[in-house]
Amino acid sequence: MEPVVQFDDVTKSFGSYVAVENLNLSIEAGKFVTLLGPSGCGKSTSLRMLGGFETPTSGRILLNGKDVTRVPPNKRNVNIVFQDYALFPHMTVAKNIAFGLELKGLDNDKIHRRVLELLELVQLQDYAKRLPAELSGGQRQRVALMRALAPDPDVLLLDEPLSALDAKLRQQMQIELKAIQEKTGKTFMFVTHDQEEALTMSDTIVVMNKGRIEQMGDPNTLYGRPGSVFVANFIGETNLLRSAVLGMESGVAALNWNGVTIKADPGGLSPKVGEHLYVVLRPEAIHCSADEPATGNRIKGKIRQRVFKGNHTSMMVEVGDGALLNTLVHPSEIAQLEGEDVWVGWKIETATVIPDRHAHN
Amino acid sequence: MVSSNTTAGFGTVRDTTVPKYSTGIAKVVNSALYRYTLGAAVESRIGRILLLAGVPLIWLIMLHVGPIYQMLKISLLSHYPVQPGRESHFTLENYAIFFRESIYFTPLIRSFIFATAATALTLVVVYPVAYYVAKIVRPEGRSKALLLLLVPFWAGELIRTFSVIMLLANRGALNVLLREIGLIDRPIPMLYTSFSLGFGLVYLICLYMLLPLYSAIEKIPSPLLDAAADLGAGPLTRFRRIVLPLSRDGIVSGCCLVFLTCIGVFATPMLLGGPNTVLFPETISGFFHGASDKWPVGAAFALIMLVTALIAAAIFMRLVGGRKRRAI
Amino acid sequence: MRTPFSDVPRTTLTAFYWAFILYLLLPLTLMMAMSFKDANFVAFPIGEWTFDWYVKVMQDKQFLEACLYSIMIAAAATLAATTLGVWIAMLIVADGIRGQIVLFALACLPAVVPGMISAISLRIFISTIDMPTGTAAIILGHTVHAVPFVVVMALTRLRSMPGNLVDAARDLGADSIVAFFRVTLPYLRPALGGGMIFCVLLSIDDFVRTFFLGGYRPTLPMLIFAKVQGGMSPEINAMATLVLVVTAAVGLYAEYFTRRARTR
Repeated sequence: MEPVVQFDDVTKSFGSYVAVENLNLSIEAGKFVTLLGPSGCGKSTSLRMLGGFETPTSGRILLNGKDVTRVPPNKRNVNIVFQDYALFPHMTVAKNIAFGLELKGLDNDKIHRRVLELLELVQLQDYAKRLPAELSGGQRQRVALMRALAPDPDVLLLDEPLSALDAKLRQQMQIELKAIQEKTGKTFMFVTHDQEEALTMSDTIVVMNKGRIEQMGDPNTLYGRPGSVFVANFIGETNLLRSAVLGMESGVAALNWNGVTIKADPGGLSPKVGEHLYVVLRPEAIHCSADEPATGNRIKGKIRQRVFKGNHTSMMVEVGDGALLNTLVHPSEIAQLEGEDVWVGWKIETATVIPDRHAHN
Repeated sequence: MVSSNTTAGFGTVRDTTVPKYSTGIAKVVNSALYRYTLGAAVESRIGRILLLAGVPLIWLIMLHVGPIYQMLKISLLSHYPVQPGRESHFTLENYAIFFRESIYFTPLIRSFIFATAATALTLVVVYPVAYYVAKIVRPEGRSKALLLLLVPFWAGELIRTFSVIMLLANRGALNVLLREIGLIDRPIPMLYTSFSLGFGLVYLICLYMLLPLYSAIEKIPSPLLDAAADLGAGPLTRFRRIVLPLSRDGIVSGCCLVFLTCIGVFATPMLLGGPNTVLFPETISGFFHGASDKWPVGAAFALIMLVTALIAAAIFMRLVGGRKRRAI
Repeated sequence: MRTPFSDVPRTTLTAFYWAFILYLLLPLTLMMAMSFKDANFVAFPIGEWTFDWYVKVMQDKQFLEACLYSIMIAAAATLAATTLGVWIAMLIVADGIRGQIVLFALACLPAVVPGMISAISLRIFISTIDMPTGTAAIILGHTVHAVPFVVVMALTRLRSMPGNLVDAARDLGADSIVAFFRVTLPYLRPALGGGMIFCVLLSIDDFVRTFFLGGYRPTLPMLIFAKVQGGMSPEINAMATLVLVVTAAVGLYAEYFTRRARTR
């Protein structure tokens, strides 16, 4: 099936600054795709190029097979939901939503029916005649979304639309957005720097860094099997154990990490002795106990810090030559306090291995 | 058909009238007429640039720069308008004339003196008023206080100048009042003197000084003054060390505005001034209403006035407003 | 409002303010009062009070024609100045424009040049393009005078417009022209309302430019000026009072309107 959006070797530079470098990305129809990354990684620029507000320095952008690289935004069948909503302040909610429809040449009744249809989707039927200034942040966001959906675009672009909302409203809107996407079946391209948001809503996450794609995949894969140090660090909390290979034994590598011997599954890599690797270990994969556990990896350490975080406690445990492990425990499980001994352990298969691409990182 | 259903929520009335959408837009934009003219223009970059910049640039160059440029050109000609059969050549004579006779350069000096004096006087008179409205009046009442001040503003130069006559004439209010209370026997001739001119000028321009001063003073955060008072500074000290320096921008822009306006007033000197108070605008105007080929001289004089006035204003701005980031 | 100020500056300043108000209003009040004088000459004290002069003025054909003439010129100049001013402002804030400062300075030039010089330069200018003095020249002069003010007001308003609004309009299918008329212009409306009234009053009050650019048909200020030269009379006061009252009322309303809109 032909992808609805295709970036072909797209590069965008502003003078000497390269914002996006050789981007190759295909997006399938009906998916919720998130571009995730820190500020300056090129995600917003890529979105704006798809919307038509930036022109690629080189490369092509295809929409449903058609080359739209030089097509102005008003002629593309793509609509954006802006970060600050950009609702027209002098027009009512109904007129805002109808804006794109009016320009298509539909007649009054048809327009009105579609407007009502969209308002019902977000429960704002009673607000049709209100002005944007009279609405709350969440309501404005919904109107902006409906305005962008009204002309039935091929792709809906969302540029960090939830960042202006408070935490609770944000979570609520995340669920709502996802629901609307599934209901309408539209292709959504979402941009955010919040990895939790990306994990919640996306079918596919595209992690970007310094203008390039670091890794692309579904949330589970990205979380469980990050392909690079950057992705591992960016998504969720993690321990990155930089270790030297000691040897291989029946498919399991033995590694030296700060004086402690650990075992890990090298995955597709065939490491040589002396080579450096990163073992990616999520805090929640580590079990802490008073007695020695029966997991593949077990180390005795000292608790350096306990931080109560509500539904869990973070514990920093010092092992080996002073290396620290970030662990996650239920407060009731571990009674030990700071300075006391504790056993940490994890199953070999719960950690992944990433090669050390750079000599210094 | 409107069905009203007021619920508890304010404003949530289910109004089922269908609003009127702007369906005409599509018709216009999709029409052949639009598509081949404006529509085509906005498609291309050049078209957009032309559409946006064309008219403004032409206007700005022709009508903002143009007249000054033409004035400069004419000032360098020997004759203008050129009568048939005669010709005009380049000359600097028109400028030289200015420096030769006192009857020509004295009015300019007089204009400068009047303008400077009027500006200074206006500053002194208006500053307390601006301070009052900006700081003493409560924020809610400030609009009203300002509006009251601006009432005469809209009357225009001519009417306000004319009204001064009522005050200062031989049988005007002031003279009559002084006679009534027995201070004088004969009316003091106040009109057509430097005094009446000065009075009229200040009367005319005081409101131009008000708004810049007011804006500048209003921006001074009141907590600053409160803090200073807390620390023991009296009203004069507060004024000298906080209010005055912080309102400097307003003073500079107000004074420049007022000065430039004063230099160029035309009606007021004609109505309130006398034979001893000929100001430069009158001198210039003489070259345009008399023999018609004296225009170049008038143009030269006007240019001289423009340049000197702008230089004076620039010097003032530099001196008073110049060093911005200096520690007090 | 608690204040640690002593009351002396307060009361002095308050008194000063009211004295100043008195000073401002006194000549105008006198002028208005004189218009009721029941005599042919202008002198205090006013003996009998009468409305006769007003009746005379309202029936004076010359006065009414001058009124109409002034209003017509004001309307034309306002329209032109508003269109040009907005256009220039749009150019100044356009994306990727260079030399904004130069453009802005050029736009403000007529406001910085002293009135007399502006009038003279325009007089010369129309001569060089073979335009006769008269209505068209006056309208041109008033337009040039008013444009800087419109530009400043439009610029202030435009700079407060969220940048994404036009982008949103274009994203939804509007080309630059449609976006301007459907989004930018409505946003400008509050500023333009006040601006246009300002232009009208600027034009009606103008004397010096009209003096040099005008033909034989007088505008209101020209008429009053000519009559003053012909000799003082309460009739002139009546005329001036009428103009004063109307323009002051309109001006005040406009100020009130813009200040309210700003604080809303």
